Amino acid sequence: MTDKTPTAKTPGQRYRWSARGFIAPGVFLVAVLLYLPLLWTTFLSFTDYNGLGDPEWIGIENYVEMFDDPQFIGSVLNTLLWVGGTLLVPVGIGLGVALLTWNLKGGVWLRLPFLIPYALSGIGVAVIWSFILGSNGALDQALAAFGIADTPRWLVDSPLNTVVMILATSWQAVGVNALLFTIGLQSIPKEPLEAAKLDGATGFRLFRSILWPMLRPLTVVVIGLSIVASLKTFDIVQGMTKGGPGRSSETLALTMYRETFVNSEYGLGSAIAVFLTIVTLAAAILYLRQQLSSKNEG
Amino acid sequence: MRSRRITLGVAAAVAASLVLAACGSGGGDDDGAKTGTLDFYTNKAAWEPDFDELNATSKTGVNIDLNTTGYSDAAQYDAFIRQSFRTDKSPGLFTWQTGPSLGELVDEGLIAETTDIWTKAVNEGWISEDLRNTYTFGGKQYCVPMNIAYWVMYYNKNIFAEQKIEVPATWDDLNAAADKLKGAGITPYYQTSTLFTFPWFQQMVAGTDPALYKGLATGEVKYTDPRIVSVMETWRDQQEKGWFSDAGSTVDPAVGLKQGDYAMINFGSFFNGSLDGAGMVSGEDYGMFVIPATNPGLAKTPVAVESGPLCVAENSSQKTLGMAYSEWWMSPDAQTAWSKARGDVAFNPKATVNDPMLKELGTTIAGGAYETYDRYYETTPTPILTVALEQFGAFIANPGDPLPFLEAIQAEADKYWADQE
Amino acid sequence: MSRAIRTTVLAVLGLIWLLPVYLLLINASKAPETFTSTESWKPTDFSLFGNIGEAMRLSGLAESVASTLLYAVVSPAIAVLVGAAAGFAIVALKLRHGFAWFVLIFGGTVFPIQMILLPMFDAYSRMSLFDTRFGMIIVYTAISIPFSAFVMRNFFTGIAHSVFEAAVLDGASTWRIFLRVYLPMASSALVAIFILQATFIWNDFLLGLVLSQSDDVRPIVTSLAGMQSTYGGAQMSTVLAGGLLVSLPTVILFLFTQKFFARGLALGQ
Repeated sequence: MTDKTPTAKTPGQRYRWSARGFIAPGVFLVAVLLYLPLLWTTFLSFTDYNGLGDPEWIGIENYVEMFDDPQFIGSVLNTLLWVGGTLLVPVGIGLGVALLTWNLKGGVWLRLPFLIPYALSGIGVAVIWSFILGSNGALDQALAAFGIADTPRWLVDSPLNTVVMILATSWQAVGVNALLFTIGLQSIPKEPLEAAKLDGATGFRLFRSILWPMLRPLTVVVIGLSIVASLKTFDIVQGMTKGGPGRSSETLALTMYRETFVNSEYGLGSAIAVFLTIVTLAAAILYLRQQLSSKNEG
Repeated sequence: MRSRRITLGVAAAVAASLVLAACGSGGGDDDGAKTGTLDFYTNKAAWEPDFDELNATSKTGVNIDLNTTGYSDAAQYDAFIRQSFRTDKSPGLFTWQTGPSLGELVDEGLIAETTDIWTKAVNEGWISEDLRNTYTFGGKQYCVPMNIAYWVMYYNKNIFAEQKIEVPATWDDLNAAADKLKGAGITPYYQTSTLFTFPWFQQMVAGTDPALYKGLATGEVKYTDPRIVSVMETWRDQQEKGWFSDAGSTVDPAVGLKQGDYAMINFGSFFNGSLDGAGMVSGEDYGMFVIPATNPGLAKTPVAVESGPLCVAENSSQKTLGMAYSEWWMSPDAQTAWSKARGDVAFNPKATVNDPMLKELGTTIAGGAYETYDRYYETTPTPILTVALEQFGAFIANPGDPLPFLEAIQAEADKYWADQE
Repeated sequence: MSRAIRTTVLAVLGLIWLLPVYLLLINASKAPETFTSTESWKPTDFSLFGNIGEAMRLSGLAESVASTLLYAVVSPAIAVLVGAAAGFAIVALKLRHGFAWFVLIFGGTVFPIQMILLPMFDAYSRMSLFDTRFGMIIVYTAISIPFSAFVMRNFFTGIAHSVFEAAVLDGASTWRIFLRVYLPMASSALVAIFILQATFIWNDFLLGLVLSQSDDVRPIVTSLAGMQSTYGGAQMSTVLAGGLLVSLPTVILFLFTQKFFARGLALGQ
C-alpha cells in the first residue's frame, strides 16, 4: 500500500491504489463469504430441487408460481406494514431519546434502560413477549387490574398480531437507534452550535436549523438499516406466531422459510429470496442515492 | 476495462458456484470401525442430556458412545441433513421422521438397509410386526425406532375428582365429561393455533373410521369428503360450546394443565417428562387414558402412535459404527436404559419401564382391544401437511364453516397427487 | 425543555421500557414446580440460581463460553477496522465509483441470512472449515463488515476534508492518516459498532447452528436454544433463567462502554 508520487491530480486519481488497498479487505470478505453463496441461491431459484440429488433447470417456473400464490400478496403487505411501522416507532422514539439525553447530566444512565433490551438474547425476548401478549398473559392481567377485561386476542387477530409484534421489536430496537443518533449528535462541531445558541435558537428551532441537518449522516444510517432490517423480518414472528394463525402474520422472509425449510422446495424458496433481495437492494439504493446525492461523492 | 473485469469476476464466481454444485455426490469411505465415538445428530435437542446419560450403558454394551449434536428447529435440521449427504459429513447416526419423508431418502439410496437387524429383533420378540411395517420400504427395512409415543388424553386428576368425573370409557362418556366440566366453568380441552393443530382432527377422523383416515394419507379420500366435513362440523360444534382453551394462549401446555386452565390435553406419552418438570406427580396429580373411539361400532379402539427413526447414512464414514449401535439399540438392555433416561414407553416389550402408569399404558395397548395407527404429522406428505396445519390453525382461531378450510387443503392435495403421477 | 422535564420524561419512559425486563427477572426466579402464569407480575419465590444451574446442566453451555467470547471479541474488532478502512477509502481517499463499491459491501446485509446457510455449510465442509473456530471467526467477521462500513462511511462524511488535506501537507502517509487521525476521531463510533456487533455475535443462533457441531466450537445461544422444545426439556422459568445468564455479559458490556458516549467529540481539531 504505497502512495504514488504526488502530482496535480484529483484526490480520486492520486490515491487510486491506496484507496483500493483500503477497501479491498472489506470487498473480498463480503464477496467470498456472502455473495458466492447468494449466487448459488440465485442459480437454485431457476431449478427444481428438494435438497437431494441434483437441481433440475426449470427456467422461471418458480417465479411464476411465486406470484400465483394468493398468500404472496398477503406476505408483501405484512412486510410493508413492518417497514412502515419500524420507521415510525423505533426510529422516532430512538431520535427522541437521543435528543433528550443529549448534553443532559446523567443522560448516559437514563439512556441505559433502552439499551438493555438489545443486550438480551433473542430467546429471552421472544419468550417474554409471548408471555406478555398471550391471551390472559401479563398484559391482559395488568389491564384487568385497571378494570379492562375485554381485550382483543393480541396474537390471534390479524392484522393486530403484526402490529403488536412491531411494538415488541421496537422495544428492542429503540436503544440501538438512540445510540447511533447520539454518535451523530456528538459529531456535531461546537462552533455552529454555539453560534446558533448565541442567535437565540433553542428547542425546536435549534433542532430544525442546526441539529437535524447535521444529524443527516447518521439519520441516513438509521433509516437505511431500519428499512433493510424490517424487509427481512423473521426471528420475532417465527418465535411468536410462526406466521399464523393460518398464514395471517407471515412476512416475505417467513414465506421463504416455509418453502425452503418446511416444504423443502429449495427452488421456490430461493426465488422468494431473490425477489426479496432485489426489492431490498432497490429500496436501499434508491434511498441512499437520494440521500447521498448532495454529498461530495467520488 | 472496468466493466470487463467485473464481468470476468462475476463469471468466475458463477463458475465457482457451479463447481460447488457439480461435485454433488459427497460422502466419505466407511472407515469400518466398530467401536469408538459415533457422531449423532438429532432434531430433539431437548433430549441431548438423555442420550448422554445412555453413554454409560452403551459403553459397556458395545463400546460406543454418542457425540450428540442437537437442533432445536426441526425444519432447519431437515435441511441440514439433506445437505449433509452431499458432503463428507454425512451422518453415522441421525434422527428423522417416518412416512413419506423417510421414503424420499430411501428412494434416493441414501439410507443404510437394516433388514438383518429387524429380522433378528422380530425373531427375539424385541419388537412388534406392526412397527416393522412403518419401517418397511419396498420389502426391506431401513432405520430402527428411536422411540415410540402413544397419543393419549392426559387429565388433571384433582379436577376430575372435584367434579366427580370418572375416566371416560366411551365417546359419549367423554362428551358428558366435557359438558359437565364446562357447566362448572372449567374449559375441558387444550388446543393451540400454531404447529400442533392436528391432533383433535386426527383423533376424530381415525376414531370414526381408520380406513377413512388412511385414505386421506394416500389421497384416496378427499378432504372435502362428506364424512370429513361432518367430523369438522362436530369439531366446530364443540368449539362453539366453548370446550377448547383460548387459541391465543401462550402458556406452556404442562403449566396450563397444572393450574387448571383446562382439564384435559391430547398429547404424546413423552409429555410425562414435561408434567413432572412442571411439578405434577404422575398418577397422583395427573393421569392418562386412551381416547375412546368416536364410532362405538369399531371392533378395536384406534390409538395414534408416533415413532421417530434412528438412521444411518449409506455413504457415511461411520456406517459400520452406526449399524453396530443400531443393532445394540434394539436390545432390551438398551431400551430399558432409554426408557429410564427418557421417561417414556418402550417399543421393546422385554424392556423394563419404570413409571407404573406408562408401563400400564404399554401393556394395555399391546392387549387385543386396541390398534395403532401412524400419526397424521408423519403420514401426510409434507406440502399437504404444511397447508393442513395452517388451515386447522386458522379454523381454531376463528371457527366457522369448515368447507373453505378443507377446500384449501384439498387444493394442495390435488396439486401434490397430480405431481406424483 | 428544561432539564427537569427532560429527566422526568426519560425516567418514565425508561421505567416502561424496563417492565418486560422486570417480568423476565421475576419469572426467571420462580421455581418450575410452583410456576403459574396467572400471577405474572408478582414475585413468588427466589430460585433463580437453581434455575440457572438447571439451564447450564441441560444445555451444556458452560463449554461454549470461551469460544463465544473469542468470536464476540475478535470478529467485531476486525470488522470495525475493515469497515473503517472501507469508509476511509470512499470518503477521505475519494475512491472512484465509491458509491458502487459502498453498495457492494452494504448489499452483503440485504438478503436474509437463512438463504446462504446451506451453500455455506456445503462450502465449509469441503474446505475443512466446518466446526472450526477459525471458520466461525471469519463468517462472523464478514457478516459484521457491511454494518460497520455503512456507519463508518457516514461518520467520516461528517469530517471536513480539510482535515485530510492538512495531514497530507504535514507529509503523513495515507496509512498514518487513517491510524493517527481518522480512527482516533471516530472512537465513539468504533466503540458503538463494536459493542453492537459483539452483542449480535454473542446472541447469534443460526450461523452457529449450521456451521458448528462440537460443544467447544458451538456458540452459546445455539447451545441454549436446544433445551426448549415441544418434546420435553426445560420449563419456562429455566429457559428464561438461561436467557438471562447468557445476556449478562452483554448487559455488562453496555454498562462499561457507556462512558464513551458521555462526552461530545471535538471534531476537526
